[in-house]
Amino acid sequence: MNRTGRRSGKLVSRVLLSVFIVVASFPIYWMFNTSLASDSELFGSGQKFLPQLQRLNEVPQNLAEVEILKLLGNSAFIATGVTVLSFILAVMAAYALSRFKFHGKGIAGFFLFSTQMMPEALLVVPLFALFAGFGLLNDLSGLVLANTAFTMPVAVFIMKTAIDKIPYEIEESAKVDGCSPYGQLGMIVIPLILPSLAAAAVINFFDGWNEFLFANSFITDQDLWPASVGLAQFMGQYSTPLSTVMAAALVFTLPAIAFFLLVQRQIISGLTAGAVKG
Amino acid sequence: MARQKSVVLAGTASSEGLKKAGLSTARLLPYLFISPALVYLAVFVLVPLARGIQLSFTDTRLINPTGGKSVGVDNYTNLLADDRFWNSLFVTITYTAAVVIFSLLLGTATAVLINKPFRGRTLARAILTFPYATPNVAVALIFIWMYNQSSGVFNQSIAVLGFGQVGWLEDPRYGMASVVVATLWKVTPFVMLVMLAALQSVPDELYEATRVDGADGVSTFRAIVLPHLMPTIRLIALLMTIWSIRRFEIIYLLTGGGPVESTNTLVINIYQQAFNQQKLGVAAAIGVLGLLLSLVVTVVFFVVDRRATRKESQ
Repeated sequence: MNRTGRRSGKLVSRVLLSVFIVVASFPIYWMFNTSLASDSELFGSGQKFLPQLQRLNEVPQNLAEVEILKLLGNSAFIATGVTVLSFILAVMAAYALSRFKFHGKGIAGFFLFSTQMMPEALLVVPLFALFAGFGLLNDLSGLVLANTAFTMPVAVFIMKTAIDKIPYEIEESAKVDGCSPYGQLGMIVIPLILPSLAAAAVINFFDGWNEFLFANSFITDQDLWPASVGLAQFMGQYSTPLSTVMAAALVFTLPAIAFFLLVQRQIISGLTAGAVKG
Repeated sequence: MARQKSVVLAGTASSEGLKKAGLSTARLLPYLFISPALVYLAVFVLVPLARGIQLSFTDTRLINPTGGKSVGVDNYTNLLADDRFWNSLFVTITYTAAVVIFSLLLGTATAVLINKPFRGRTLARAILTFPYATPNVAVALIFIWMYNQSSGVFNQSIAVLGFGQVGWLEDPRYGMASVVVATLWKVTPFVMLVMLAALQSVPDELYEATRVDGADGVSTFRAIVLPHLMPTIRLIALLMTIWSIRRFEIIYLLTGGGPVESTNTLVINIYQQAFNQQKLGVAAAIGVLGLLLSLVVTVVFFVVDRRATRKESQ
């Protein structure tokens, strides 16, 4: 291939990449832009392309009016519960899958993977019936329990991949020194896979944070709405200004973006390797 | 309980002690570690699943979710005779095919573009990851606003070019495309990140060997890189397929299955039967059929994957 050909190829890839970057970032930018516009502009004179930063100081007041802290607090409660419960269950399961040979290991792996193809919408109906019986409707702990079933297997994949990479000799020497299996897991393995544990925690936390279907079906008490349900409700009713809805959506989104960027590398290696091996 | 624990501890205190204390303890150990997770899934996935299958043979209604009497296979026979069901199966397949094909093409293209080092690459990758981290509800909200017929940015932009207003979410001709585009925005970065990881694992020698042979970029990609990526591509295709069959929030919030049921996937159909029509039995039956679809896809995937892997390793 000649030199001009290679150079024009480079130019084409630069242009394409720029287009992709604009497409990826524009909706986030537009959320920000809309959160600083008045309804009369949005639905009348037309939205300006540049954000009206002078309106930034009105945003906290607007967000307070929709009780954003209560909504985010409920989301954080669900997310924290899901993360803690998933961690406890997943770290033990991942250790077993990585370090032991046992009967039914393949079935256990497939069982974990099968949750990935289970439509929540199918389970929402029987879970609704079950939770109604146990008084778990309109209860945030019910949402923690339901969501953990879907988040925990993902954590298992990520953790198992990480444990697979640690040489077993380290644990073996500890075993000779009289360390119990629980001690080996807690004092040797866990400290060595902290980055992957962080990745699993971030994924699980934001799965709980983002979840909508169960929350929308089980929670009718407005005080218990997580932000996902609250936001969707605002969009439907026209009493909340669109700028406030978008500001709330942005506040809801930014923590997720920040944390995902922090643990991006571990997320990818975990999700791919884990899913391959099932 | 405390005694039991101490037995386990004593039994595994050393590899020699382990043998003495009896192999049964050692053999039980992996089950002790994995059973909490499996029991949990049994309670919160298998039991509801079994209950769902059982519900699908009843006429249970939302008002009385624990009542309802058996109706045999009526729900299934009614569904198979129902145009709405076949439509939602068709819609699910169309949606899934579009999302899988375009997310793979776009995601792979983006991964190739940022595979080679250049200035600002880390920042570019970070920005390209934003959509993947954005919560589904937020994705739906911003796209609803951008698609707005009278004031959304898409129609405002094409108005400048002299086009009239398009009902992106209101016109049955565009509903599916609009939902697919919003979905692609969200999921393509996942494909990009996974493909990027796979690209980085292509050994440098492979590239160099073809460069010496004087091959150009495209034929290098086809001959060397693509075969190396095939296992990853198949895996992503599977994940994208089963996730698309499952996807709820974006479609539900953008169109609710409309306009004129043009985006009424099986999952949306389940939700509407259960919570709008209040027919839990019918909803469960659709769910069972949807799960069968996912199962068939997964089994086909594993068969194809095994064959292809055998072929590639020859």
